[in-house]
Amino acid sequence: MLAFSAPNFVLVQGVFYGLGYGLLALGLVLVYRTNRVLNFAQGQIGVVAAVFLVKLTADFHFNYWFSLALSVGLAALVGAGSELVLRRLFNRPRVLVMVATIGLSYVLLALTALPFIRPSNLYKPVPVPFDLSFSLGPFIITPTEVMTLIVAPIVTVALVLAVRFTSWGLAMRAMSENADSARLSGVWIRRTSTLTWTVAGALSAFTAILNAPNQTSALTQALSPDLLLYALTAALIGAMINLTVAFVAGVGMGVFLEVLAWNVPSPAKQQLVVFLVVMAVLLVRVGALRKGARTGERSTWQHGAVTTMRAGVDRLRRRVSTTGMWLTVAVAVLLPQVLSVGNNVLFSQICIYAVVALSLTMLTGWAGQVSLGQFGLVAVGALVAVHLGTSLPLPVVMLYGGAVTAVVAIFVGLPALRMPGLFLAVTTLAFALFMQTAVLATPCFTLPGIHKTLCTGLPDPAYTVLQRPTLFGLSLSSQRAFAWFSLGVLLLSIYMVRIWRDKGVARRLVAVRDNEMGAAAMGIPILRTKLLAFGLSGFMAGYAGVCFAFATQQLNNTDITFDPTTSFLVISMIVIGGLGSISGAVLGALYLEGLPAMFGSNQTIQFITSGLGLIAFILYLPGGLAELLRRAGDLVALGIRGAGDRMAARRAGPPVAPSGNVPDMAATLVADGAEQ
Amino acid sequence: MTAGAPSPAAAPPAHPARLRVDGVHVHFGGVHALDGVSFEAEPGAIVGLIGANGSGKTTTLDVISGLVAPQAGTVRLDDTDLAEYLPEERLGIGMVRSFQDCRLYPELTVLDVLLLCEDAREEVAVFPTTLRLPWARRAEKRKLEAVDQVITAFGLERFRYHRTAELSTGTRRVVDLASVVLAQPRLLLLDEPTAGIAQREAEAFIPLLRRLHAVADTTIVLVEHDVPLVFELCSQVVVMELGRVVAAGPPDVIRADPKALAAYLGASDEALQASGPIGEGGGPGRDEGV
Repeated sequence: MLAFSAPNFVLVQGVFYGLGYGLLALGLVLVYRTNRVLNFAQGQIGVVAAVFLVKLTADFHFNYWFSLALSVGLAALVGAGSELVLRRLFNRPRVLVMVATIGLSYVLLALTALPFIRPSNLYKPVPVPFDLSFSLGPFIITPTEVMTLIVAPIVTVALVLAVRFTSWGLAMRAMSENADSARLSGVWIRRTSTLTWTVAGALSAFTAILNAPNQTSALTQALSPDLLLYALTAALIGAMINLTVAFVAGVGMGVFLEVLAWNVPSPAKQQLVVFLVVMAVLLVRVGALRKGARTGERSTWQHGAVTTMRAGVDRLRRRVSTTGMWLTVAVAVLLPQVLSVGNNVLFSQICIYAVVALSLTMLTGWAGQVSLGQFGLVAVGALVAVHLGTSLPLPVVMLYGGAVTAVVAIFVGLPALRMPGLFLAVTTLAFALFMQTAVLATPCFTLPGIHKTLCTGLPDPAYTVLQRPTLFGLSLSSQRAFAWFSLGVLLLSIYMVRIWRDKGVARRLVAVRDNEMGAAAMGIPILRTKLLAFGLSGFMAGYAGVCFAFATQQLNNTDITFDPTTSFLVISMIVIGGLGSISGAVLGALYLEGLPAMFGSNQTIQFITSGLGLIAFILYLPGGLAELLRRAGDLVALGIRGAGDRMAARRAGPPVAPSGNVPDMAATLVADGAEQ
Repeated sequence: MTAGAPSPAAAPPAHPARLRVDGVHVHFGGVHALDGVSFEAEPGAIVGLIGANGSGKTTTLDVISGLVAPQAGTVRLDDTDLAEYLPEERLGIGMVRSFQDCRLYPELTVLDVLLLCEDAREEVAVFPTTLRLPWARRAEKRKLEAVDQVITAFGLERFRYHRTAELSTGTRRVVDLASVVLAQPRLLLLDEPTAGIAQREAEAFIPLLRRLHAVADTTIVLVEHDVPLVFELCSQVVVMELGRVVAAGPPDVIRADPKALAAYLGASDEALQASGPIGEGGGPGRDEGV
């Protein structure tokens, strides 16, 4: 395919980066082995330490080694603290815990801004204790790199030995095999778990401190999604179990990426190769992953407060829901009339995000496939819109965009046919990174075999302005008209998803998620059902993408909208809203898009509210906003019934004992609460 | 998008099937799991497989349901040799198996679990469902009616909207049996239907299985540790030991056969009383013998 060549210094550079990925991968494997948690905050814990190190050495002029010890200690403390916070989530659906760690990473990012951690000069590089460098041909290996080349292998070997020979290592290995059994054999699983996170925290500190000097600022987000992706891939090659393999794979990943970058100039093509390689790695390693993940995966969705379908409540309660729903719809329809232009833009935005969240609700909430690339699918739809523009009627463009995206989604979902849904997070993350570069102006791909060129990117390198189309002769160019249009799309989507929930689609998806073997024995076609989830979800994300493009109108290649963090935002929406719930998806979009807007659309506030909000929601309100809504509905129904009974009593004359209905309702409420 | 074609599982002929297992050998490495197992189940019979742990009962079920391929021997349903059928194809010819662990689908309600069985028999593609086309509506209504009948027949009304995760193991088994009825089996394989449920509930299983047998009009092959339940329920009992059939025949004959008693019960008479007469008030013997 491509003749790869690379000079020595590219290889050295690759090894240097690879050591960083390897260290990060070690932390991921440790935590996953112990708690079956994909810890997305693994990199960020160390950043706190790296920033603190700069603070100590630059501001307080402490001795380097003393500062180093303090910083690593701080990271260990942060690791342990994270475990204590997240501990109660460990037997809940894995995707909740994963999203909680995403929230944690945002909180840690905010932590680095605290005055006693943040150095006064942000652009001060992380210090290096010695000045040792040597040259390799024309290329100079800096002291930082020398340090990395020395420290990283030592840390790794120490860790591997510790896992193999210490009592902590033994306890951890026992716990990862069978936590209950280990517990009964006298392993203090909580203590072991905390200790693991402590070690992982310290490890993360090494990763960040070694990597920090070649970052421009000490305050960078070390958890850049691409760094995380490479580390995750390395960890997956180690089947999330084997530390040595994961570390070596990390180094290999570093070399591979550097060689790739040296040979393939286009970032989009690089990312495409990375995406395909990640897919291939997963498919090759899937057997080992299944073996390693079996116990964890079995408990993945149980005990979750997920009630995808809730029927069987009494008539009054149902009527309260219906009335509430129609009232909300009525208010939403009237709202664009009174909103300002700016707020109408926001209104459209929220509606479109809600549609995207709904698409993910089906995929993750029902089918159990974790996607961190949902906004990548939206990008596909948006690109279709950019290329078709107003040449075709809007509904046709939407259907076409949806269909194209559905095909892409099914392709992205192919690994899911053979592996547990959680690991799909990795391939979808790779997909999101690819799509981020695919919306650039340049990408053109020569299709193999037929020698046709397919250009995905924006037509104009700098700036693409998209004219809004008309819908059935009505112009959508005003923000108000577009707000109504977006609302219409959202309502239609809700209607569709409700049908899928109630009329037989959702139950098939949930059945395959909950018990694949059982469903197969029952005669449910597993492959078709899984692909169906991706197809439906992709279709919805695709037409949402078309709307998104027409809503934004101005797309340019510096746009951060298609950053993978937007996909994190979408998955946060459905978790905050209540996994698997339709109203939850809408409420989540409202909360994460609307609330930051009230605070002046400040990016930082948005991240902090979502980070803290995420953890708080997951910890204390597992059913999410949807559950709040349900409880509110219960209370209203209770109130109405109570009032009705009182009126009936008054009419009947002398006071009688209250009807049995009220206590019954209360009992149900209590029971419901207990069940959550 | 996969708008699936109608499921190929056309309604199988309704009459119960005859099962013939002939000289089946299964080796796992050097271990002879099954060593020439042969028995026959008449159409409409209830056949109980009993034997100590490791005697090959579950392996026999695995062979019949196609999860384990035998090295020698045949399994015939009526006159069809099943060697060519994949496990998932066997549903289409009327063979249904219930599993020992009976996990069902934790997050689905009882109603949904049962509707799911109907989905498997009659799949409606997404497209007509989304557009609420008339035949999709009719299919959904038909499924609901069928499920409602079964729910009533098994006394599950109370649990209609309960998630299966909330149910006790006993209730889950009832749901499992109800879903079996919906699948309209001609041959039903039950793997320890009373495992993991209380003695009292196990006693309630006898009439339940009888009703199931009558309603579904099917041949049943049952693996069970509760010997009295098997003697009470089955028209034919097959006793296995170390991968061989040591005795087969009606319960009365087996009860009198010292070889069979020795094979399964060892010296203990207690196990015979496990499900003993209901009047005894539970009796002392749970099935410790197993």
